[in-house]
Amino acid sequence: MKRLQRNPDIVWRVEKRRQQAVIDRLAAGEESGDEGTVILLISGMMHQLNLLGGMIWAQCDGSRTLAQIVTQLQAEFDVETALLQADVQEFIDDLIERGWLSYDQSTD
Amino acid sequence: MTNPLTEQFSAPLTFNWALSYSCNFACSHCYSREEQCDELGTAELKQIIDRIAAHQVPFINFGGGEPLMRKDLFEITAYARQQGLNVSMNSNGWLLDRAAAEQIKASGFRSVGISIDSAEAALHDDFRNRPGSFLRAVAALDALAEAGVRSTMSSVISRINHKSFRDLLDLAREHRVSQVYLHNFKCSGRGFKNREDLDLTPQEWKDFYLVALQVKQETKDLLISFDDPVIASLPGYEENPLVKGSSCGKLSLNLRPNGDITPCGFIPLVVGNILTDDFEEIWYNSPTLNKMRNKEAKGKCQGCNVYEDCLGGCTARAFATTGDLSDPDPHCWK
Ligand code: SF4
Repeated sequence: MKRLQRNPDIVWRVEKRRQQAVIDRLAAGEESGDEGTVILLISGMMHQLNLLGGMIWAQCDGSRTLAQIVTQLQAEFDVETALLQADVQEFIDDLIERGWLSYDQSTD
Repeated sequence: MTNPLTEQFSAPLTFNWALSYSCNFACSHCYSREEQCDELGTAELKQIIDRIAAHQVPFINFGGGEPLMRKDLFEITAYARQQGLNVSMNSNGWLLDRAAAEQIKASGFRSVGISIDSAEAALHDDFRNRPGSFLRAVAALDALAEAGVRSTMSSVISRINHKSFRDLLDLAREHRVSQVYLHNFKCSGRGFKNREDLDLTPQEWKDFYLVALQVKQETKDLLISFDDPVIASLPGYEENPLVKGSSCGKLSLNLRPNGDITPCGFIPLVVGNILTDDFEEIWYNSPTLNKMRNKEAKGKCQGCNVYEDCLGGCTARAFATTGDLSDPDPHCWK
């Protein structure tokens, strides 16, 4: 099983108020924009992840595979599975390339 | 990042935390020698850590006073690590021998900063009013390196070192330091009383920063950091990606030994207490913090072409000299 694991050197947190504001806007049918709801601090620089990215990131704690993350997100977002799968894959590939995420290769 | 910071951040990124104002030194520039404050017990300190962790503040940096004067420092640090916090401290190094360095490593410190004000032993010792302190500080850096702990060096720029700061960088290299902080001079506490002797003139500050920024750009083997927003007008100034102007009250807050919160260690305005007050209420609604986050250009700052980045420079310095948080930084040369 290839589980996704955050780079433990990265300091991060959910910006709760912002996240809630974006969720509220989405629920009201408004554009959510690309506002950061999770901040990552990497070598003195701050990076932000939008709502979907932040939710993926928060789940990459070494206990879930990509497929499990997609299933989880499916419950939150009303999007076609294939589309969601592609978005999540693209996001994860990008973060793996940056060294922010990796696959935990241990078997269970 | 165009949104106001309080919308951006749900809490500070760092608590600078004076566990105690006790110190084995009495340095000429220190802000805290005249400070008096009750100290909390270990259980209460752990309660504070729980609160800090609950608000997802990722970093705490122990200062003071001398953190190593607290017997429970390592217990507190290990507890903070268990809660997921990243812990660092600033020390004068006197008590930091090999055994202490091993305990620092074991308790999980992320890094330790040692204060060194001059690469000349006699000057440092004189400034710190403690013969032998230079050798002990340098030995502390070596002990940290031996124990495998990341070390940094903190030097407050003043009349004794502004022309010879390159020697401090060489000293850092010799003792395997990874980052040097060239701190601005704050004019609080003894720093205010001794400022005639220690502080530079605005023109001298400009001259220092012009050279230091260039040295920073040319230096590849050592990180050099400044914490002075007044440099925004100079070539080589790198825009801080996290904040404009002073970071106090925006990215960081200060904790006094009794749990009182101030915007920074150099601004003695208590905005609440972490143990007895609602932290979110303080963070979002403190009039003092909001004033610092929304400064108005006053005096010569009005119409200044770098106001957007500088925001009037160091708020603590302005406050210490005029009592007004929005006044121009007295170090400004413009
Ligand atoms: S005039 Fe004010 S804004 Fe301009 S550089 Fe000086 S302190 Fe900063």
